[in-house]
Order: sequence, then C-alpha cells, then structure tokens
Amino acid sequence: MTAMRGERAPWARPLTALAVGTIFFVPLYVACVNVIKEGPRIAREPASLPVPPTLDNLQAVLSRPDRLFWVSLTNSLIVTGLSVVILTVLSAMLGHYLVRSGGRWSRLVMLLLLCGLMIPPQVILLPITRVLATFHLMTTVQGLVLFNVGYYVPFGVFVFAGFMRSIPVELEEAAAIDGAGRWTVFWQVVFPLLRPATASVLIFLGVWIWNDFLNPLIILGPGQGTTVTTGVYRSIGQYQADFGGVFAMMFLATLPVLILYLLLQRHFVKGLTGGATKG
Amino acid sequence: MSRGARTRRPVWPGLWHFLTFGAPGITVYVCFVLAPIVVSFGYSLTNYNPFGPPTRFVGLRNYRLLMQDPEFLLSLRVTTILTVIVVVVPNVLGLAIAVVLDRRGWFYNALRTVFFTPVVLSTVVVSIIWIRLMADDGLINQALRGLGVAGPPGWLSDPAYALYSLGIILSWQMLGFCVVVYLAGLQGVPQDLQEAAAIDGAGPVSRFRHITWPMLAPALTINTVVMLISAFKVYDHVQVITKGGPGTGTTATVAYNVIQTGFVANRQGYASAMAIVMLVIIAVACAVALKILQRREVQL
Repeated sequence: MTAMRGERAPWARPLTALAVGTIFFVPLYVACVNVIKEGPRIAREPASLPVPPTLDNLQAVLSRPDRLFWVSLTNSLIVTGLSVVILTVLSAMLGHYLVRSGGRWSRLVMLLLLCGLMIPPQVILLPITRVLATFHLMTTVQGLVLFNVGYYVPFGVFVFAGFMRSIPVELEEAAAIDGAGRWTVFWQVVFPLLRPATASVLIFLGVWIWNDFLNPLIILGPGQGTTVTTGVYRSIGQYQADFGGVFAMMFLATLPVLILYLLLQRHFVKGLTGGATKG
Repeated sequence: MSRGARTRRPVWPGLWHFLTFGAPGITVYVCFVLAPIVVSFGYSLTNYNPFGPPTRFVGLRNYRLLMQDPEFLLSLRVTTILTVIVVVVPNVLGLAIAVVLDRRGWFYNALRTVFFTPVVLSTVVVSIIWIRLMADDGLINQALRGLGVAGPPGWLSDPAYALYSLGIILSWQMLGFCVVVYLAGLQGVPQDLQEAAAIDGAGPVSRFRHITWPMLAPALTINTVVMLISAFKVYDHVQVITKGGPGTGTTATVAYNVIQTGFVANRQGYASAMAIVMLVIIAVACAVALKILQRREVQL
C-alpha cells in the first residue's frame, strides 16, 4: 500500500529506460562487434558475438598498400587542427571586438553572422570552388582550411561573444593602467578567462570539421586527398563485399572523436544546453 | 612617459580595434560566405556551364524553369517529408526519453551517453552502419524473418519505403541531441513547484502539462530550429545510402540535387537558382518557427 503512494512501480522507469536504450544501442553494437569478426561472417550473422575475435580487419586497413587510412588520418588531423586553431583565434578576437565596441554597426555584423549559422554549404560551394581554383587552392588542404574558417566563424563568434559579455571591461582597463599592452591584455588577461567558451568552440568545431563529408568531397576532390570521412566513403566503393575492412576503417576513423567525447562529455552537454535552461 | 599617455586613451581605440580584432574575421566571413551568396544569385540569372555554350544573362528564366521542373518539385516533396519526420520524431521521442532519464545516478548517465553517441558520429559512418542493418538480407530483415514475417520489405531498395527508412536513420542520429537538450530543460524545472502542485492534488499528467511543458519552451525552440535546419540540408546520408534512388529521385533531396546539377551535370546557373530557392525556404521556415516558438516562451 505504501509503495503505491510514492512511485507506483519503482521498477517501471529503469526497465523502460533499459529497454529503449538497448534497442537504440543495437546499431552501435553492430558497428563495434563487426570490427573484430571474421569478414565472411559479417553479412551472414551481423549481430553474433565476435567469437573468436580477430584483428585481421584492423590489420588489413592499417597495412593497405595505398595507405588510404594513414593518408586520410593525416589529412583529417591537419585540416581539423589548423581550422580549429585559426577559428579559435579569429572568433575570439572578433567576438571581443563586437562586444566591446557595441553600437548599431556591431549589432548589424552580429546579425549577419547569426544568419551564417543556417546557411547550407550547397548555397556557397559553387562560387567558392571557382575562387579557390583561381588561386590554385582547389584540391589543397589550405583551400579546405580557408573554407572551414569562413564557414564556421559565425559559430565561434556566437560562443565567444556570449561569454565575453560576462567579463567586466574594468578588468581590461585595470590591466592597461598597470602598463600591459593591448595584446597582453587580451591574450594574457581576457583569453584565459574565456576557457569554457574556448573548450566549447574546440570541441564542437573539432567534431564537426572531423566529421564533415560534403566540403572535403568537393574541395579536396575524390582522388587527390581524402579525409577520414571521404576515405571511408571511398573504401565502400572499392571493396563492396569486404565489410570487415569497412567496419574496421570506420572504427579507426571514429576513434579519436569517440575518445574525445567520452573524456569531455560534460563539456559537450554544457556547451549544447547553455541556451536551453535560460528562461 | 608614453605609457602614461596611452592609458588615458580608451583601452581599445575604435579604428585599431576594428582593424586588428574585427577585420580578419569579418573578411574571411565576407569572402567565404556572404560574397559567394551574392555570386550564387548572380550565377542563377545566367546559363553558366563551364563546359557548355558561352555564358549569357537569362534573367529569371532558371527560376521559371524550376517551378515547372518535375525533378525539382519532387525533390521539394522529398525534402519536406524528411523535414517533417526529422522535426517531429526526434522531438517527440526525445522528450519522452528525457522524461524517463530525468533521474540522477550512473545508470541514467550511461544511457544518456548512449543516446548522444550518434550525434558525434560522422554521417558517413552512421549511413554505412544502417546500409548493413537495412540491407535486404540485413539484421532487421533477419530478425523479421525469425519472427515469422514471410516477405519483409526492402527498406532501402523499395521506392515505397526508402524515403521513410532515411527518415528513421536521420531520426536515430539526431535523437540524442533532443534528449540532451530536453534533459537540461527538465533539470531547470524547480522541484518545489512540482511538490506544491502535487500537494494541491495535481496528478502527474496535469503537472506535466501545466508546469513542466511550458517551462520546456526554450528547449522546444532550440530542438525544432536545429532539426529544421539540419533536416533541410540533408545531403550526406542520401549520397552514401541511396544516391537519390531507388527509381528516379525517390530520395533525392534539394541539397542533393543542387550538388548533382552543379558539380556532376555542371549546369551551374541552374543549380545556383536551386540553391537560392533552398536558402530562401530555410530562412523563411526558420523565421516563422522562431517567431511562433519564441512567442510561446515570452507568454510564460
């Protein structure tokens, strides 16, 4: 009787959660077990346990003669690393400028940047390939990095500007009166205080750029260089029947993001839900 | 001396601040986003095709042709159906799951991690996993046959199913986003308000309707707008899973057709017109959704 008053069926919630979670988990489970399952068994029994486990799939991917995985990994690391560092610097500074200068002009710039958050790449890719081709930047990593910087700068500014408003301008003035130059004030006083915003920008843009498919496909081209995503895409085209290889390649390509996500989960959630709780 | 003089001026003199802090970011944004939109609009008024006849100005002809192009109208239909699925399914399921997961402890945290994982996976990886699951002899159909279903559908090979299968795949990938945003919203609902209402005799359903749901308004706004934007530009899944098929254009979204027309068929003028129409639709849809949803928030 007493149990009925509080929560009528105390097991209903965890059991429902577990059931729904299990169904939802099946595709992830399939993606994981087939990495270490023998190739021929993958199509026949996709959900069976990988017993006995095998490292053949992983080994095959890592030792491919065309080094597809290693080339893709290198490209992805360079593109993501460079883009994210440049984006952090540029958007922190632009965010600072827009918040501190205030006024109608900076509100207009902010509005134009906000519009950029919803623009699909399809709308700008055609002219951009022309421009990059003119400067011989098509099919180069530099070209893709330049595009990424322009395309994702609105998100960076949005995050930094939101955070910058909570930093009192008096702090900057005090540092300046103490004799610090402007660059010192910004990079050694203000920027360290923006760490949560920097974390959000690094994490989100890092994951987005790492996972990006369309832009590397168009700008780097299919033949010249692949990132991990276009590399995985190419590997399904070439070896349609070798599911073991494809699953292993996908696993290796995802591993960096997955580790980052599992380590920094808290930041992912915080960065994402900043606006959801404000009334 | 000079140091003393400098501190009397503002820390960030306007022109210096603009040139060093503002201009670099604004320049890349203008060069790589704003200017290309204007150029795209320019292309859309021409018959530009790098391998075709000489480029000339054709006015609004591309737009007129679009309105009568069955392929384009079909892609609008496909995109609309996908968008409706992706706005509704992850929102509804996400809210339900968030309500179930709204408890403390490692168990619920672990499940939240599971639900959010697909959000950080690449679209290509998610697509390939589901190609295998939904193959004619894949796991889903193996399970259905095991349950005694004689002729399970070809999820991705049957034109009648493929679009809805894509909707399921997209919803699976986006669901975690909605779950996490709703969970954050739920955690912002004050516990004492709930208890006070319970003491006044409000049941769980009416507590949810009159307290929780209105307080989730900002979460609903975020989820709806983000789902709307992501659904409208779906390209990757189509490119990897169906290539617009099976049949002609049964799963070809507008975003997919822009790339096909512009980069494969090289009809860049026509593709630009398509892209501009796409941009206008997204902008209008977002503006309308924001207006309606934010009015709800203010009414609180």
